[in-house]
Amino acid sequence: MSKFMPFAATMIKNLFSKPVTTAYPGKPAVYPERSRGHVEIDIAQCIMCGLCSRNCPPRAISVDRASGTWTINRFDCVQCGYCTEVCPKKCLTIVPGYQTPGAEKKEAVYHKPVEEKAAAPAGGKPVPNLEQCVFCTLCAKKCPQEAITVDRTEKKWELTAEKCVSCGLCATNCPKKCIEMK
Amino acid sequence: MASKKSVVPFGPQHPVLPEPIHLDLVLDDERVVEAIPSIGFVHRGLESLVKKKDFKEMQYVVERTCGICSFMHGMTYCETIEHMMDVEVPVRGRYLRTIWCEMSRLHSHMLWLGLLADAFGFESLFYQCWRMREQILDMFEESTGGRVIFSVNAPGGVLKDMPSDMLHAFVEKLNGFETELHKIADIFLNDYTVLTRLKGVGILTPEEAHDLGAAGPMLRASGIARDTRKMGYAAYGELDFDIITSNDCDSFARCDVRIREMYQSIQLIRQAVDKIPQGDIAVPVKGNPDGEFFMRVEQPRGEAIYYAKGNGSKFLERIRIRTPTFANIPALLKTLKGCQFSDVPLLILTIDPCISCTER
Repeated sequence: MSKFMPFAATMIKNLFSKPVTTAYPGKPAVYPERSRGHVEIDIAQCIMCGLCSRNCPPRAISVDRASGTWTINRFDCVQCGYCTEVCPKKCLTIVPGYQTPGAEKKEAVYHKPVEEKAAAPAGGKPVPNLEQCVFCTLCAKKCPQEAITVDRTEKKWELTAEKCVSCGLCATNCPKKCIEMK
Repeated sequence: MASKKSVVPFGPQHPVLPEPIHLDLVLDDERVVEAIPSIGFVHRGLESLVKKKDFKEMQYVVERTCGICSFMHGMTYCETIEHMMDVEVPVRGRYLRTIWCEMSRLHSHMLWLGLLADAFGFESLFYQCWRMREQILDMFEESTGGRVIFSVNAPGGVLKDMPSDMLHAFVEKLNGFETELHKIADIFLNDYTVLTRLKGVGILTPEEAHDLGAAGPMLRASGIARDTRKMGYAAYGELDFDIITSNDCDSFARCDVRIREMYQSIQLIRQAVDKIPQGDIAVPVKGNPDGEFFMRVEQPRGEAIYYAKGNGSKFLERIRIRTPTFANIPALLKTLKGCQFSDVPLLILTIDPCISCTER
C-alpha cells in the first residue's frame, strides 16, 4: 500500500539537526589506526636488499645500494602495502596520513646513515653445513642479491660476500635448516 | 501513417551515468524502439598486465577492476589461485572474507539506492542513502585501512585480522544501520511517487532473464532463484540463508530484492561473527600456480567469473574476468525496448551498471 510523504519525518528532523558533514580542512580528519596513508621507512634498519623495489606493483620504490639511498615516488605509490609484507627486516610500515597534493611528482629520498653502512652487518653472513645440505638451490633462488651460487651436480655452494646483505632469507627458507648466519 | 523514427545518442557523458556507456536510442515519438549499445570508453587492459606482474602482485591489480566490489575481485582472484595450488585457507580467514564480502554488498546496494533516488529526482533521499553508506566505509577503513581499495587479500588467506571487540562493535553499528535502513526502505517500497516511477517499468520475464543470461538481483527479481553463494565458497557453506527472489519482474522488484538482500547481509554478518573461530588467518603459499581454474562468486551486482591459467612459472599465462554488468547488458536492452524515453536513465540504473568492471 502506498503512503503519502513517508520522507516528511526525516526531512523535518534534518531541518533542526546539525549537518552530518564536517568543515574539512578547518576541522582535521581523524584517521583510524590501520588507515593506509603512506609508507614510512626506518632507514637505519634497512639492509638495501631491494625486495621492496622489485615487488612494488606500481614500481614506486627504487633502492640504490651503492649510494645507500631508498627512494619512493609517493605519487606513484598506491598504498597497497605489499612492500611491508615482503620486507625481511620489517623496517617498512604503512601509517595514517595521506600524501598532500603537489604540482610536481617529487620523490622522497632517504639516506642510510653512514656509520651504519660502515659497521659490520648485525645478521652476519650465511654459512652452510654442507653435510646436511641437499643442494636444492632454494637459498640461491630466494637470495635478493643473487649472492649465492649452488651447483647441484658438482655439489658446490658458494657465496659472493660483497653482494650479501645479511638479510637471512636463505637461512629462513632452507628446507633442511642447515644455513647459519654467523 | 507510419511515424518517422529518430535516433537520440545517450551517453557516454550523461548526468545519470557515473561511468561511460553509449546507447543509440531509436525513438518512435517518445517510445524507445531499439537501443544499440557501444562500450570501450574505459578499457584499461588489466588482464594483459598478467604478463608483467607475478601472480602475487596481480592481486593488487585485479582488486582495482572495480571501486565498489574491489574486495570481492581480490578475494575471487586469490580463491582461484588457491584452488590451482591446492591451498586450504584457515577457517578464520574464510569467515573474515565472508564478513568483508557482505559489508561490500551492503555499501554497494546503499550506493545503488542513492543513485536510483537521484535518477528519479529524489535528491534528499539520495543524500540520506549515501550518508548511511559512509558508516560501512568507516568500518572498512577501521578494519582494512582503506575505504575503496582494501588490499587485505593474498593467496593463502587474509592479511589483517579483526579482533573480537572490533567485530562486536561492528555488529552494534549494524544494528543501528538496520534501524535506519527500515526508515529508508519504507520510502523506496511505499512512497506514492517512488512507486509511480518503479512499478510495472522495465518488465523482464523469467524466460527472458534466463535466455539473455541475466545475473544477480536482475535475475532474482525475475523469479529465478540463482545465487552462487550457495556453492559455499569462503564460509558461506557454513551459514544459513535463503535466496531472495521476487516474482514482480519490474524495476520495483529489483529495488525490493536489493533492499531485502541488505537485511540478509546484516544477518549473515551476525551469523559469521557468532561462528567465527580463533586461529590463523592465512597459510604461506609455496611454489607457483600450474593448471587452470574457473571460480564463480556472487558480487553485489551478480555473478562474476574468474578464469586463470598457470604454467608453473610465477607469471600466469592467462586471466579472464567476466563481470556481472557485462552479463546484464542484453537484459537491459530487452527492458529498454518499448519503454518511454523518460524511463531510460532509470532502467539503465536498475541493472546497477559498473562499466569500469565490464571493460576491465
